[in-house]
Amino acid sequence: MNQRHPTPPKLFLRFFRWFCHPGMLDYIEGDLIEVYERNFKTFGKRKADWRFIKDVLLLFRPGIIRPRKPYQNLTPYGMYKSYFKIGWRTLLRNKEYTLINIAGLALSITCCILIFVLVKHHTGFDDFHQDKDRIYRVVTEQHRESVSYVNSVPSPLGMVLRENHTYGEKVARMFHEANTVISFERNGEKQLIKEPQGFAFTEPEFFDIFNFPLSKGNMKTALKEPNTAIITERLAKKYFGEQNPIGQVITYDNFLPFTITGVLEDLPPNTDISPEIFVSYSSMKDFNPWLASDDAWGGITGGMYCFTKLRSGVSPAEVEEALQPYVKLHRPESKNVHHYKLQALSDVHFDGRYGGAMDKSDIGILIAIGIFLLLTACVNFVNLATAQALKRSKEVGVRKVLGSFRSQLFWQFIFETAIIAIVSILIALVAAFALVPYVNDFFSTQIPVNFLTDGTLVLFIIGLDILITLLAGCYPAFILTGFKPVAALKGKLSMQQLGGFNTRRSLIVMQFAISQVLIIGVIVIMNQMRFAREAELGFDKESIVMVRMGSDSLNTMQTLKNEFLRVPGIEKVSLCFAAPASAGSWNNSIRFGTDTEEVSFRTNMKLADADYLSTFDLELVAGRNLTPSDTVREVVVNEALLQNLGFTSYEDALGEMIYANGGEMTGPIVGVVENFHDRSFHEGISAALITTASNMYFNYAIKINGNSVKATLAEIETLWEEQYPDKMFEYEFVDESIAQFYEAEDTLLKGIQFFSFIAIFIGCLGLYGLISFMISQKTKEVGIRKVMGGGVTHIIWLFGQEFVRLIIIAFLIAAPIGWWFMNQWLQDFEFKITLDAWTFAMAIGSSIIITALTVGYQVFKVAYLNPVISLKTE
Amino acid sequence: MKNFQLGEFEEIVILTVGILNNLAYSVAIKDEIESRLKRTVSMGALHTALNRMEDKGYLKSFSGEATEERAGRPRRYFEITALGKKAIQYAKDTRDELWAAIPETIWQSNLAGI
Repeated sequence: MNQRHPTPPKLFLRFFRWFCHPGMLDYIEGDLIEVYERNFKTFGKRKADWRFIKDVLLLFRPGIIRPRKPYQNLTPYGMYKSYFKIGWRTLLRNKEYTLINIAGLALSITCCILIFVLVKHHTGFDDFHQDKDRIYRVVTEQHRESVSYVNSVPSPLGMVLRENHTYGEKVARMFHEANTVISFERNGEKQLIKEPQGFAFTEPEFFDIFNFPLSKGNMKTALKEPNTAIITERLAKKYFGEQNPIGQVITYDNFLPFTITGVLEDLPPNTDISPEIFVSYSSMKDFNPWLASDDAWGGITGGMYCFTKLRSGVSPAEVEEALQPYVKLHRPESKNVHHYKLQALSDVHFDGRYGGAMDKSDIGILIAIGIFLLLTACVNFVNLATAQALKRSKEVGVRKVLGSFRSQLFWQFIFETAIIAIVSILIALVAAFALVPYVNDFFSTQIPVNFLTDGTLVLFIIGLDILITLLAGCYPAFILTGFKPVAALKGKLSMQQLGGFNTRRSLIVMQFAISQVLIIGVIVIMNQMRFAREAELGFDKESIVMVRMGSDSLNTMQTLKNEFLRVPGIEKVSLCFAAPASAGSWNNSIRFGTDTEEVSFRTNMKLADADYLSTFDLELVAGRNLTPSDTVREVVVNEALLQNLGFTSYEDALGEMIYANGGEMTGPIVGVVENFHDRSFHEGISAALITTASNMYFNYAIKINGNSVKATLAEIETLWEEQYPDKMFEYEFVDESIAQFYEAEDTLLKGIQFFSFIAIFIGCLGLYGLISFMISQKTKEVGIRKVMGGGVTHIIWLFGQEFVRLIIIAFLIAAPIGWWFMNQWLQDFEFKITLDAWTFAMAIGSSIIITALTVGYQVFKVAYLNPVISLKTE
Repeated sequence: MKNFQLGEFEEIVILTVGILNNLAYSVAIKDEIESRLKRTVSMGALHTALNRMEDKGYLKSFSGEATEERAGRPRRYFEITALGKKAIQYAKDTRDELWAAIPETIWQSNLAGI
């Protein structure tokens, strides 16, 4: 050790340097060393060391320790103001960039908000009932060759559960009849109204289980008596205005009157209980005596529900087991083995098998879409921001030289991102607000329009804001603040240092693959829908209107038919059971000729008068039309029926006998019609027969002369109402009801169109980011190439090849996926289009066009740029 | 009259700065106090007191030459400001007043007590 300069204990010296206030460090360190050297000379190293340590430790006190932050005494607000000002100016200067970022973020945030509201709405269904975890619905699994699921049960099941067992604290049965016509008197005048949600025969216990309070009347007595009803406030107002609804009478179908004994508060939007008229269950014997009886175990009528609130401690499995013996007892012979299951109330909304509105997996898909949209928007933001980074490098350099800390710069850039995020969120809120009605329409939900008052949504939005700011802002801020000031000021930074070129590329490929899959989906679905709508169905569906009959009196039918025929706009009228293709149909097993067994296929029974063939323009291929009759005398069959029976010559079948409906409907075959589509394209053409049976006629099929549909329809209505004064006139156009076969596909199509639009939009943002990045990287290269004689087309191709390559890679990924999905989708159709190369050509073609439109302007700009300017850059 | 805040240790330090006149830097102050008052002074306490009095405006400091003895670290010299002088004067005056107010008999009884 040097005698003149002995060294104090290093560890403590370092400790001292670490904690000491920088303003005093030099002086005090000098003192410490001076004293140490003196002590060293006087007492030797050991003692001097100890004293040094003691001094250092005693110096560790508030007045000497450095403040936690440098320049703590400065208030940061001035800087924040400056950040805001600079941020705002930068955003205004790069309008294009700002606009694109805000548009991308706003779009995905809008989707996120809507998805959040939707998911929240769905998860909050029926959560307002007391002891909701003990409430169950009894449902049925029907075990045949395959298992099918029904949300209803045989009507006596609720009774036996209540009478024979003690599991249920409460058991309530309800029979829901939708689409009913209700009549009532207002101001002495009779009114008819169609209630799509119909009404429900309900046991009073229902209201002990579910929390639907009465606003008028007493729940204890409300539904006890037969022929009593309670209705919601909304309906009471709709029916009786300001009058007191209690004591008023509403009538179902002119024969079943109910006296109103109570008024319910309006049902909340988040419940799956849909009827708004509840009538006493004891009146059901007048409506459907079989269903009301105690031995209606033979079958399950849709709409017959059984709810129960179990005693606490009872497990649903116990109850299911206890219900099993009744199947053996009451349905010993049936091949259709019922298994009664208890479905928790919280599952009612989510189990698609039992008619739940929203499958749990759909909720998952929605959330995944939301997260995906948000992530891609953030990644696009990062892409654009890093592409712009070089422009800001000088600013960063100057700020650093002037003493900015990295953390300060970091927060400055985060601040800018926050401005963009907040603006986007504000736009998204407005957009979401405007779009909620459409979402409600599309998903058939009732999300309240003033959803913004929801507290959790506010929290969600704040969380989203922070998340987006950090997700999108961190990486660019990190890159920008990492610049070495000298390099940044000298302009020596290059794009290579910003990195991530391949990440950008793979992102673009992914985005394009997704949008191409969606485009393929859209094209295929649209083609199939067009095919289903425009294909020959084997019968005429244009301008034929089906009008419901008011009664089944044969006389009125015939009179009205003749009156219709006198109307000039009406060409033909047929009395019939249903149109050739209809949602509801009657299928029967027939016996043919001399066979003793019934045939194995089902036959679609089309009951109609002799004008049916001419009204619907069904083509006879053999034999003749039916002769007019009111009862079954002759039968016309379709080709499919004979083919199923194994006939090769249709003439041979003429004259053979057909026994249908257990022999009740019997007649010889007199004619054969060409096959017609009697169902949607999802199903094959089934065997069908047409015969006269006036007791089964429900509709007038009226072929209207195409020119004056509206006027003719009005005339039909007048004539109809003269015949049936107290009934409701209902009609439906055949082509429209056929279009309804494809409602689910229409919804799917709209959904995919919407998402492909978003995917394409986001893809374009990604492209825009990539092209800005490439151009800022290659400006100089372009200049040199031009100086060396490169032409404009050459330059354009320089950029173009990159994009063409990316699109082709995306297409190679998208095409098989799209093919697989759409092939799978088409399997659902018995009659379908084939997937052709055109579909795929269109998908890739549209991607190329979209890409060209997105990047074209920038590429042209740089290609035509004077090389003098491009070489001067940097 | 303005109240001058001056702690006991601070008073000793500021008086020592006055004694050393122009040569008052921390180690010298420490040595002076230790030799005159026979009490040890920790570097931490001394620096805190000096800083506090500088903040109060009783002392001002200037940086001296860097010396080899201190491994190139400069000395920080202190001198008393006008306000500091007033403060010690005030301290002395109040003490004197108090002294003067003590009745003579106290001393006598004390002596008698011995």
